[in-house]
Amino acid sequence: MTGPLALVRRLLAATPHGWARVALAVTLAFGASAASVALMGVSGWLLSRAAEHPPVMYLTAAAVGVRAFGIGRGVFRYAERLVGHDVGLRVQSALRLETYETLAHTTLLGRRRGDLLTRVVADVGAVLDLVVRVLLPFASGLFVLLATTLILGAFSWPAALAILGTALIGGVAAPWLAAQLSARQDTAAVPERGALADVVHEIGRTAPDLVAYGADAAALERLAAADARLRDADARAAWTRGVATALQVLAAGAAVLAGLVLGAAAVRAGALERPMLAVLALTPLALHEVFADFTKSAQTWTRARAALARVTEILTEPPVGTGDRLGGDAPIAASGEPSLAVHDLCIGWPGAAPLASGLTFEVRAGERLAITGPSGVGKTTLAATVLGLIPPVAGEVRASGRIGYLAQDAHVFTTSLAENVKIGNKHATDEQVRDALARVRLDEEPGRLVGELGATLSGGEQRRLALARLVVGDYGVLVLDEPSEHLDPETASVLLDDIWASASGRPLLVITHDPEVIARCDRVVALGAT
Amino acid sequence: MAEGRRGPIDPRLIGRAVATRRYLTGGVVIGIATALLTVAQAWVLARAITAVFDAAPGFEYLTLMPGTGRWPDLGPVVALLGAIFAGKALLAWANTLLAQRAAASVKSQLRRDVVAARLARPLDDTPTAGLVTLVTVGLDALDGFYSKYLPQLLLAVTVPVIVGVAILTADLTSAIIVALTVPLIPVFMALVGWATEAHTQRRWATQQRLARHFADLVAGLPTLQVFGRARAQAIGLRKSEDAHRRQTMDTLRISFLSALVLELLATLSVAVVAVTVGFRVVHHDLDLATALFVLILAPEVYLPVRQVGVHYHDAAEGTAAAAEAFDLIDAASGVADRAREDAAPPRTPADLPRTPPDGGPLVRVADVAHTYPGASAPAVTGVSFEVGPGEFIALTGPSGGGKTTVLNALIGFLAPTSGVVSAPPRPAIAYVGQTPGMIAGTIADNVRLGAPSVTDAAVARALARAGAPDMDAARGVGDDGEGLSAGERRRVATARALVRIDAGAGLLLLDEPTAGLDADAEAVLLRSLRATGVAAIVVSHRPAVLAEADRVVTIGGAA
Repeated sequence: MTGPLALVRRLLAATPHGWARVALAVTLAFGASAASVALMGVSGWLLSRAAEHPPVMYLTAAAVGVRAFGIGRGVFRYAERLVGHDVGLRVQSALRLETYETLAHTTLLGRRRGDLLTRVVADVGAVLDLVVRVLLPFASGLFVLLATTLILGAFSWPAALAILGTALIGGVAAPWLAAQLSARQDTAAVPERGALADVVHEIGRTAPDLVAYGADAAALERLAAADARLRDADARAAWTRGVATALQVLAAGAAVLAGLVLGAAAVRAGALERPMLAVLALTPLALHEVFADFTKSAQTWTRARAALARVTEILTEPPVGTGDRLGGDAPIAASGEPSLAVHDLCIGWPGAAPLASGLTFEVRAGERLAITGPSGVGKTTLAATVLGLIPPVAGEVRASGRIGYLAQDAHVFTTSLAENVKIGNKHATDEQVRDALARVRLDEEPGRLVGELGATLSGGEQRRLALARLVVGDYGVLVLDEPSEHLDPETASVLLDDIWASASGRPLLVITHDPEVIARCDRVVALGAT
Repeated sequence: MAEGRRGPIDPRLIGRAVATRRYLTGGVVIGIATALLTVAQAWVLARAITAVFDAAPGFEYLTLMPGTGRWPDLGPVVALLGAIFAGKALLAWANTLLAQRAAASVKSQLRRDVVAARLARPLDDTPTAGLVTLVTVGLDALDGFYSKYLPQLLLAVTVPVIVGVAILTADLTSAIIVALTVPLIPVFMALVGWATEAHTQRRWATQQRLARHFADLVAGLPTLQVFGRARAQAIGLRKSEDAHRRQTMDTLRISFLSALVLELLATLSVAVVAVTVGFRVVHHDLDLATALFVLILAPEVYLPVRQVGVHYHDAAEGTAAAAEAFDLIDAASGVADRAREDAAPPRTPADLPRTPPDGGPLVRVADVAHTYPGASAPAVTGVSFEVGPGEFIALTGPSGGGKTTVLNALIGFLAPTSGVVSAPPRPAIAYVGQTPGMIAGTIADNVRLGAPSVTDAAVARALARAGAPDMDAARGVGDDGEGLSAGERRRVATARALVRIDAGAGLLLLDEPTAGLDADAEAVLLRSLRATGVAAIVVSHRPAVLAEADRVVTIGGAA
């Protein structure tokens, strides 16, 4: 079994006292919901019994109960929320760690998985929703329903069973229906969403040209048209959501009527004491209120299931390559001049067809070799192979000196500039970090916060920061991946001057399709041309 | 979870609610109708239970007494209650529809405004992926505010009044209890919120940083792997996850307090009403039917108020997306560019004179300086030059010297911080940017952006003059100019500018039009540009371009 429930079960087993915490949360949630149902039921009995004008002491117990339920509901709910969120967060942490470990053990460079990485973060978060908003309410709701049925059943089985039946409609069938229909409609709206995204994407990428040529108004018209289609799809989804909500109201009504009619019949037959009639007729009102949010829970379940299926897919995927570079952290004693040579190399991803074969070239110290070729031909795969992140399909890579890699989209972590530089060498001293920043001409304080929560760096500055990591790590051989990509020609030109200067005397392998970069290299190897 | 000092609900959200006025009104009408049906339901139900109760034998004090024996006919009661529940179901269904419409109307308006804002600031370098996410799924986070929170807020004001009045007509004492406790709820919630706000705020920043750590590490995994550092980070992640959980729980303990107060007050009030009413029934102060009526209605007074608390979190979820959208819109409304003036009268290039009527220069740039917002130093200072009709001017200078800034001021994409820029209106300008944008369609579609009605032959001619005689105009262009190389894109964009010149535009603005071209292609392109005979301002450092120019203006550095 590999569904989301199996995943949660496994994560709970790995969490200290995971099951005990869940049991506590369910018990507390049960207490909260049961208190509100009991409040209505016992109050109904209290009033009816009071109408028989007994001595007040006969009502004291019920009165105390009513007050206790009144307090209990809020207190239980508060405790349940805390325990529930705590266990939910623990499960989420366990899944985050497992996901991170799995991803860290599979090579990600060059696999065009940027989208996957951003999506997996949100997908993992779904497990918290699953625990807090789906599993706990459903489990406790079920227990409340069972308890109510059993207690009412002690007085009138027909009424209790009727209430159970309507509760299954309002608490299970209607939410399930809503989740099914809305999932179907979400799927149906995918093309509409895609069309809207396309329009926005095009406008975002061509804004200066659209404005310069007076085509902006027409572009907004296209947006309005795409938006209108999406809006229609959303309206259809709301229609069915409305039907599910209406069904819940009808189920509650049926429960009240069943309690009243069956209860009255039992009273008339002398099978039920008359104060119990109010209990049978009023309890369903409070019981069905417990289910009010189940439609939302069912939709959360549909979304969480899809998200966690994607996570499970990542977790069960066999690893590719080594993940981390082997020995990447330890300095390799360079024997003599740094150099890089590949001989009769065949490259490709494990389990896929080879991308290129018969590659033979050598880059000596101070030489710059350009690797060119159309996109998809395996340029970054070559880099991953040279770096040792994935094994060559055939042939060999010989390097003298550590190989450093300058990515076109190196990540800037949310921390200080200095910590970002130290990714290249965790033992680097403050002095070395400062020196590296100066050498890449990134004129900033090492303590400055960068990334998401700090100041953002321009494209050129990000590339310089990535270069500083290579400088501080004292890499002998450099592999540059599209060093001018996404930069305007001027910034690219100045940056290349600086890279060339900082890498002087080292072998440079430059992956590029930019003619300006190719022109700066000594030799060119065209991938895909052989 | 309350974060900012202003509270988590952006006041600009309320301003947008004007668009939903109709739906909100509809929602309130539905709410009132539902409340009235609830009152009717309570009345019928209370009567029916009492009638059965009175008919049945039972204890009176401690003596078993026969009932009245007048068993009520429950048929009409069932029909009536059935009709009431059917009515409530119908109203619930209609309310769902209205809520969706309300949110959709605001989202449509915001989508348009956000994209219009992007177009009003063509130079905005916000990543397009972020814009797409915001416009498609990001704004969906506003559903909670417009379809749940706001309508619920109105119900919380109207429904308790209606139900309260119903209780008042039945029993004064219960009405007083309700009237005293309902206003306590917002007061206590405000007090709790006020007392805990500073505490919550203090933790917020740490919590956010810890929450981001996982996302940051995952996004940076390829980078970490290249340096052999990915696995080692798992230890740090474990620590930060623990810290994050503890911080979050500390915050939740505080922020769930307001919900606790809400639930306690609401449920305890119902319990107090029930017990009070019960003891008055014992003492013959109240009859059973009235007591049951009050008991059924009491929770209904507090329900809408409690639901506000529930939906408050839905509303707060949309705040981030809303803030992002509003910031984009606000940033654009501050742009006093020429776009608005130009956009007003739709003019075609042919209507515009190629020479200024007074015989003066076509373009005048006088002592222009520009500092980008947030920058410490000006991008460009003290630039002055004039361009007469038909003149070919090259702008050159060191990298980062501000050449592109001047070009953008000429086309009106930015208003310089000081100095005077006078240039023909936008419809009289043909423009080729540094990385020209390509619309999805064919190459011909892209060329026709310059002049929509030109013939196929004219498109082919323009492509040839732009240095691409062999390019098939019917070839498809994907998103982002997919299928075209950088050089091909520049040539298509140049052809686009050429058809606009043919249609009557009098000024060419080109940013590095020959980058990436070989010497021959560069020569063809320069000849075509000169052959148009219109004024041209070309940003370039290529010697061939500088040699071709009538004048070279150096910007930045040795000016």
